[in-house]
Amino acid sequence: MAAVETVNKKSPTLDVNVLLKMLVDELNRVNKKLDLLVELNGKMLKMQEEFLQSIANKSYRGKAIKLKPDAMTLLSLPGSLRKTVMALYKLEEATAEELAMETKRLRAVESASANQLVRMGYLKKKRGGRKVYFYIE
Amino acid sequence: MKGKVITIHSSRGGTGKTVIATNLAATYANKGLNIALLDLDFRAPSLITVFSKGIRGSVKHWLNDFMNGRCTIDQALVDVSEEYNLRGRLLIGLANPTIEAIHDMMGKSRAWEVAAVKRLFSLRSTLFNDMNIDCCVFDTSPGIQYSSINAVISSDLSIIVTTLDSLDIKGVQKMLAEFYDAFEKRTVVLMNKVFPETRIWSNGRQKELITQMEKAFKRPIIGVIPCYCDVLQAKRSSLLAIKKSDHPFLRNLQEAAKKLEHIN
Repeated sequence: MAAVETVNKKSPTLDVNVLLKMLVDELNRVNKKLDLLVELNGKMLKMQEEFLQSIANKSYRGKAIKLKPDAMTLLSLPGSLRKTVMALYKLEEATAEELAMETKRLRAVESASANQLVRMGYLKKKRGGRKVYFYIE
Repeated sequence: MKGKVITIHSSRGGTGKTVIATNLAATYANKGLNIALLDLDFRAPSLITVFSKGIRGSVKHWLNDFMNGRCTIDQALVDVSEEYNLRGRLLIGLANPTIEAIHDMMGKSRAWEVAAVKRLFSLRSTLFNDMNIDCCVFDTSPGIQYSSINAVISSDLSIIVTTLDSLDIKGVQKMLAEFYDAFEKRTVVLMNKVFPETRIWSNGRQKELITQMEKAFKRPIIGVIPCYCDVLQAKRSSLLAIKKSDHPFLRNLQEAAKKLEHIN
């Protein structure tokens, strides 16, 4: 009877030790998995960065966007931009100042409008001495 | 009129656009002006039929060739002044009526259409500076399609020819609101083939009709031409401005032509 009592008293202590060891082992496994996930995530982020960079290079460096300002497309543009394109059709190529003379708007307005059309891909611009000329390709 | 490009346009076919364009050009040429008349209706060319009697031999260059960059505008024009005994010069640019040419013009890319507008703008300097042309008239295709809108955006003034048919009136209103307003183009309306029932030859009724139509289109009406059976029945190859210069159709058109001269 006394021996049974001794075992019953000792077993909880033994169980705690075993459980603690099991817990440490489990934590080590989770830690390894977390290390693996962090490593994979790093690789994925690197790949994503490379992919975005390659798109950026294709869109803005290697190949510039080219859109055609045909009559139907002009209808979809805001009136202020349409006016600039129409003036360029007439003048063939022009500085912001020449555009302003044609449209009877401010030079700054024409400059902003023409540069926006360049960014949108409808117009091209080139430098001739100190002046910047806009044209439809 | 010096240095003006006029487009004759309509919302639908059959309004009398070509009859107006050819007789307007001939009226001005008869007054001693030098006129270029271009057939920009590449889907349904018609000037070749109207001027069949005035064209000697075969056409060397079509207007299609000019638009495709294969010839200059002066090469694509045929002088018919002598054949019609006109005081001024009348040069016509013909659209190629063959199926192959029509098919070719129907399948053009957007890049080509951009180049087409540039070409229509560029012909001004050749016509007005080098060839001493006073006025250029574009006869276009009806409705909103590249050949007609390219002509409208590259011209100084558009004449929309319409009948009193409700489909025409609605079509013109829509075209004005959705296209002409966007491009802020100077536009006038010419009422043609007006039915006898409207009794427009009574002055009071005509004024009433003009007021009503100007309100509907929000554009000036430069003329009201009644429907004449003999004009409809006349052969397309007979130019009224030359053959029957005292015809009431022409008197009405001449009045409209005078008004056009005063529009800047």
